[in-house]
Amino acid sequence: MFSVSLKSLNSPLQKLDGRTKLIFLAVIFILVLLFTDLLYITALLALVLAAWFIAKLPTQPLKEMMQFFLWIAVIILIVQVFFYPGTTNLVHISKPVPAIGFSGYLTLEGILFGLAMVLRLVVIMIVAPLMVMTTPLPELMLALVKLKIPYKFAFIMTTALSLLPSIQNRSAIIQQAQLCRGISYDSGGKFITKLKASVSLLIPLILGAFRDSQTLEVAMNSRAFGAPIKRTFLLESRFTPVDILVIAGAFMLLTVGVMLRIQGFGVY
Amino acid sequence: MADQEQPKTELESSTPLEQPGSTVTQVRTYKAKGRIVGMSIAVLAIWAALYIVASAIPALPVPGMAGMITLNAIMTAISGMILGPAAAIANAAGGIVSMILFPYGFSAGPLGFLTVTMGGLVAGLFMANKWVLAAIAEILIIGSWFVNPQSWQTGMWMVPLPYSAIALLVIVIKPVRDWVRNAIITQNKKTMWLAVFMMCIIGHAAEFLTTNTMVNWMFNLSWQYWVPTLPYWIMVDTVVILASTIVGVGVLVGLKKARLPLFPTTLEK
Repeated sequence: MFSVSLKSLNSPLQKLDGRTKLIFLAVIFILVLLFTDLLYITALLALVLAAWFIAKLPTQPLKEMMQFFLWIAVIILIVQVFFYPGTTNLVHISKPVPAIGFSGYLTLEGILFGLAMVLRLVVIMIVAPLMVMTTPLPELMLALVKLKIPYKFAFIMTTALSLLPSIQNRSAIIQQAQLCRGISYDSGGKFITKLKASVSLLIPLILGAFRDSQTLEVAMNSRAFGAPIKRTFLLESRFTPVDILVIAGAFMLLTVGVMLRIQGFGVY
Repeated sequence: MADQEQPKTELESSTPLEQPGSTVTQVRTYKAKGRIVGMSIAVLAIWAALYIVASAIPALPVPGMAGMITLNAIMTAISGMILGPAAAIANAAGGIVSMILFPYGFSAGPLGFLTVTMGGLVAGLFMANKWVLAAIAEILIIGSWFVNPQSWQTGMWMVPLPYSAIALLVIVIKPVRDWVRNAIITQNKKTMWLAVFMMCIIGHAAEFLTTNTMVNWMFNLSWQYWVPTLPYWIMVDTVVILASTIVGVGVLVGLKKARLPLFPTTLEK
C-alpha cells in the first residue's frame, strides 16, 4: 500500500491557501461527474495534469497510481465497450447475444464512453493526491476549520494525526510480540493465516488504544477542553490575490460547466 | 493570530461555596464539552487514529478491488457497536485523513469517507436503540441505489438484496433487534457470536451498498458487471463480516476483562 505525503515545497500551488485548493478539488470533482463526453473529461484531465506539473510534482506517483488502478480501469473499459448501447457499429465480433445484452459489434459510442469512464477514474484518483502533495497536513486541517467544519470534528482529525506515530509504534510492537508467538505476517501466507494475523493485531491494538483514551480524556478535561474562551491557532491562513484569482477561475469554470450541461453539451 | 468563533459562554449557578467571612457566592463554571453524541472526543480521536493506521495495513487480498481489503474494513462494522452513533463522526474523521494519506484505497474518490460514515452511523444508531433512525438511514441507502436509472436494468435489484435486506430486517423486527442488542450488551457467551455477526452485517451492508451506489453513479456500470460478479462480492462481504465478528467479539470481551468502560452498556444513557 502506498501513501502520499508532502512532495512539493516550493511551487506556486504550495503557496496557495488550503481553502483554495479544497475549492479547486471540489470543482474538478463536480465537473468530472457532470460530463460523460470524452472530450470534456480529457480537458479536465489536461487541467489536472497541468496543475500537477506546475506543482513540480514527481511523475513516479502517477505511474504507481496507474498501475494500482489498472485492473479496475480494464474492467470499466471492457464493460462499457462491450455493453454500452451504441449505434455506430465498428467491428463485428460475433452473433448477437441478447441474453447478456451484447449486440455482436463493438460500437464507436461504447469505446468513447468506456474511455471517458476510465479517464474519469484517473481524474478522480489524481486530484486528491495533487492537493495533499502540495499542502502540509496542519494547513489542510486549518483550512477545514476555516471552511466552518465544526471545531470538535477538526480536533478529532488533528488529534488522530498526532496520535498516529504512537499507534503505529504500538502496532509494530504488537506485530513483533505476535511474531514471537508464531503468528506470521508474511504477505505470501495463506488466507486463514492472514485472517488470524489480522485478528491477533487488531484486538490488542484497539484495547491498548482505548486504555490510552482514558489518559487523553483526563488531559483534555484538565486543560478545560470546551471552555468558553477565544480560540487561537498557531498557523495563520489568509487569502492572497492569487488565491482569489484561482477561486474566481474555479467558480467561473463551474458555472460554465453547469451551463453547458444544462444546454445538453458534454453528454452522450 | 487567526481566530475561531467565540464559543457560547455557559454560566451556571454551581453548588454554593462558603467563603470565610462572606455569604454564599456564585462561581463561574462551564459544562464539559468533550463529548459528541454521548461519546468522549478522546475515544473518537483514538478510534480515528486507529482507523488511519488500519488503512495502511493490508489484511486480505481481493482481486478486482484495487489490491487488498485493509484492516479498516473490519473496523467499520464494529465501530457502531463500540462507539454508538458517534462512530459516524470517528469514521468520517479517520476516513478523511486516511483518504488524504492513502487515497488509493478509496474507489469512490474524494467522497469515499461517506461510505464508512454511513456504515458507522447505521450500526451505531441500531446499537443505541434508535432503530427508527437506523431503518430510515438504511432505507435511504437502499433507495439511493434504485434512484440511479442504471439500477432499473435486469437483475440489478439483486445487488442490495443479500446483506442490506438482512440488515433492514434485523433493524425492523423487534424480537430480533432486541435479541441482538441484549446478547451484545449482556455478553452472553452462547449467543454473542451470532449477535455480533448480525451487528457486523448491519454495519457492512450500509458501507458496501453506499460504496456500490457511489461507484455506480460515477462509472455507470451496467448489469453486465454487477450481476455476474454478485456471487464474488457476496463472498468478499462474507469474509469481511466474519473477520469483523471475530475481532468484534474479541474487543468486547477484552474491554470487559481489562475493566475498561464497556461502551455498549452506556450507549442508551
